[in-house]
Amino acid sequence: MAKTETFSVVGQRVNRVEGYDKVTGGAKYVADIVLPGMLVGRILRSPYPHAKIVKIDTRKAEKLRGVKAVVTAEDTIKQGWGAFFPDQYPLSVGKVRYVGEEVAAVAAIDQDIAEEALGMIDIEWEELPAVFDPEQAMKEGAPLIHEGKERNIAMTLDVERGNIERAFAESELIVEDTFESTPQWHCAIETIGSVAECSPSGKYTIYMNTQTLFMARYRIAAALGVRETDVRIIQSAVGGGFGGKSCDDNNAIVCALLARKSCKPVNIINTREEEFLAGSRPRVNMNIWAKMGFKKDGRIRAKQLRIIADNGAYSGKAPAIAGVAALRHDTCYKYSDVKTQAYLVYTNKIPTGAFRGFGNPSAEWAVEQIMDKAAHNLGIDPLDLARMNAADPGYVSPHGNRVTSCELRQCIDLVEKMMDWKGKRAQKKPNRGLGLACTVHVSGKRHFGDYDGGSATIKVNEDGKALILSGEGEVGQGAATAMCQIAAEELGLPLEDVEISRADTDMTTFCLGAFGSRVTYVGGNAVKDAASKVKQQLLDTAAEMLEARQEDLAAANGKIFVRGSETRSVTVAQLARARLFRRGGAPIVASGSFDADSVLQDATRYGNESGAYNFGCQAAEVEVDPETGQVKVLKYVAASDCGTVINPIGAEGQAEGSVAQGLGYALIEGLKMEDGRPVNPNFSDYRIPSMRDMPPLEHAFADSYEPTGPFGAKGLGELGMDPTAAVISNAIFDAAGIRIKTLPITPEKVLKALKAVSNQEPTRKVKLKADG
Amino acid sequence: MKRFVALKVNGEEYDIDIEPNRLLLHALREDVGLTGTKEGCSIGVCGACSVIVDGKLVSSCLTLALACQGKEITTIEGLAKDGRLHPLQQAFLEYGGFQCGVCTPGQIMAAKALLDANPNPTEEEVKEWMSGNLCRCTGYYKILEAVMAAAHNKISSDFQVKHERKTAKIQSLNVYKDS
Repeated sequence: MAKTETFSVVGQRVNRVEGYDKVTGGAKYVADIVLPGMLVGRILRSPYPHAKIVKIDTRKAEKLRGVKAVVTAEDTIKQGWGAFFPDQYPLSVGKVRYVGEEVAAVAAIDQDIAEEALGMIDIEWEELPAVFDPEQAMKEGAPLIHEGKERNIAMTLDVERGNIERAFAESELIVEDTFESTPQWHCAIETIGSVAECSPSGKYTIYMNTQTLFMARYRIAAALGVRETDVRIIQSAVGGGFGGKSCDDNNAIVCALLARKSCKPVNIINTREEEFLAGSRPRVNMNIWAKMGFKKDGRIRAKQLRIIADNGAYSGKAPAIAGVAALRHDTCYKYSDVKTQAYLVYTNKIPTGAFRGFGNPSAEWAVEQIMDKAAHNLGIDPLDLARMNAADPGYVSPHGNRVTSCELRQCIDLVEKMMDWKGKRAQKKPNRGLGLACTVHVSGKRHFGDYDGGSATIKVNEDGKALILSGEGEVGQGAATAMCQIAAEELGLPLEDVEISRADTDMTTFCLGAFGSRVTYVGGNAVKDAASKVKQQLLDTAAEMLEARQEDLAAANGKIFVRGSETRSVTVAQLARARLFRRGGAPIVASGSFDADSVLQDATRYGNESGAYNFGCQAAEVEVDPETGQVKVLKYVAASDCGTVINPIGAEGQAEGSVAQGLGYALIEGLKMEDGRPVNPNFSDYRIPSMRDMPPLEHAFADSYEPTGPFGAKGLGELGMDPTAAVISNAIFDAAGIRIKTLPITPEKVLKALKAVSNQEPTRKVKLKADG
Repeated sequence: MKRFVALKVNGEEYDIDIEPNRLLLHALREDVGLTGTKEGCSIGVCGACSVIVDGKLVSSCLTLALACQGKEITTIEGLAKDGRLHPLQQAFLEYGGFQCGVCTPGQIMAAKALLDANPNPTEEEVKEWMSGNLCRCTGYYKILEAVMAAAHNKISSDFQVKHERKTAKIQSLNVYKDS
């Protein structure tokens, strides 16, 4: 439901606050930062997927002219670190567990010398048997990757709500199948990098392109064995994150170790190959068996999942991701009886981690195909099946997620209209088909302790401009602009008079950072709270200066004025100076905070993940070429319920960009490995969509208002790519009667499936297109 | 063996001392000091390092700096003139043709090379040409829109950027005298 509220800055199509710097080449990314005397750091990586390090000899490398420091595990505290399980080390201790793992590092006066020195480090290895497939890794007798982790299981989850046996017994249609996703990489055009220096007194300053500064500080300090405030992290411009820059890798820690040992600033910028080998932690790949029971009329009666998730060699955020895959989708439709089991399994491959969607795209790839199969089996239009089961405001999922605002049905209606769904279904053309899928996502997630909050400070400078100090960080998603709009709206300032600082752990208060589609909702609420406190200070002083009662005052256009006699006004600049430059004066400044009304999951995984849930529906029309197996997306439509849209340009960009990543996931992406070694770790062999790959796209925002959000806003960033792969697969089924169950959906797989169908059911043979 | 190389970048001469195998990308970023040109893939696939040399679009990660002596090199820093943005830069800003911005210099240079040669391209021509410049944020829709807008002069004529230099008024500390 939309709330009729008029805004002056919120909802306007405004230009990015950092945009001028970005279009002129002036924005400073981490690779652009040069400090006096800065050295180049390079990392020696494991060539083996699983091996003991018998001996490391760095003496020759240390003697090479131009080398200023060589570090190994001996330079570390040898204590594990990690977001949930402390199972990884900055530099390998005793053994390596994947190809690309950091073993040693060199800082030298230039890159050539640093790389030459890497080649002079002598390592005696003892290869160990390795395991790459999670199902193999779970078997008795498989090589053990971590001591004490029996059958290589990092985590298990086993949840049943209601009575699943009875629910299946009461179902009139049961559909089950197994689906496999693909290891997808973030492929931000900027790789991970750091510039670190260590002062003689022992304080580290690290410029990083991280999307989660304070979590990075926490983990880096732990890995270095120092207090949190001994590490200062300053965010550079960030060239794309998508979850990959949430500091689950070792780049910054190794950089800090080299800076400490060399007593010089050091940078380490990942090469593109390093980024694939051991940089951003790719999407947790999953094998999902799903079974759902339905009543004849289409109502969902039961759902059961069994997930085997490939953790890779170390855990990072994979435990939380497996949890999301297991439980999240139960907030999308109305469920009563569900059972879900997940096994997160160590393998000798790159550690997996956060990527836009956070477990949701893999789960929806499976569940939304089961929904589609059910619709076809029941003879119900998939759109009607989704609409019938869609969550409503007030719905509480079996795991306790409490839905406040929800416009999923409106999203389904929008998709129906934009796609001309009914019309196209009525006039089905050969080899063409329609598919859809629905999605739910969070606006922040309570899983770091019992906290899902944010904070911000706003000061009003003497020239009347407000400066937001926020530690959430801009990673390209448009958070800085949205926050400036929220502050401008609350303060009655023009947008030009609001600025935002860069995120800096020494200057800004604690923020969890950019993940979980949380920054506009959680960070925006904190900014709004700070702005309302600042506004109170402005009103206090204005009441004094204008000799008026506070309740008669209003703020607009950078002024505080008396309602009804607007000439009696004072500018924000005047107020800032009047409050400051007097005996006992003080600056106008206030901090605000927000902690979502969510509930930490208990031991049975019952809780309420987020303060608000975002919903969406997407559909595609595809054409399958029966001769080549090529799938052409003729039209793509998407509708998103993200509450109030703060900046339409930014929000549309988020929706469009995530659909693009979703289409990549569906059709072309995936890292191929042979014996744990990546075979396509570069942009010519790992393809991401380019401009000509993009289909015509129509997108719409639902008319929606989230009562707990800043001016009614909630999250958006991840929503767009969650259901996309299932949308494409469902459309292919409608077009050609084939069900592709492994990602990516390559022409080879399509052709193979078409052949299998034509051998099985000659009557359903797909006709060749007349025009070829 | 290092040697002196004279590069003409954005109309200015730079004498730099570089190894003969120095790539144009690194010479621009590290020796000339213009960091607007970005390194994305290092193998000439992503287009982040695109610059214009003698009117032709090149991947500076595949080009030797030495080979560019005596040629006119244009980088992203050379587009804005007299405090005014190039129409393409303005279009990218107005139409939201970027998010993280790291591919943006390359996108704008590629679009400039296209419009210089073909001022009135069709949408299909833009898509084909711009497919050499990868972007992971936008899904390309707003980049396409920006390029088409620049080609058809659909950008604001009175576009003011808040970063434009203004003469600051010295403000009195006494607020009651302030106008």
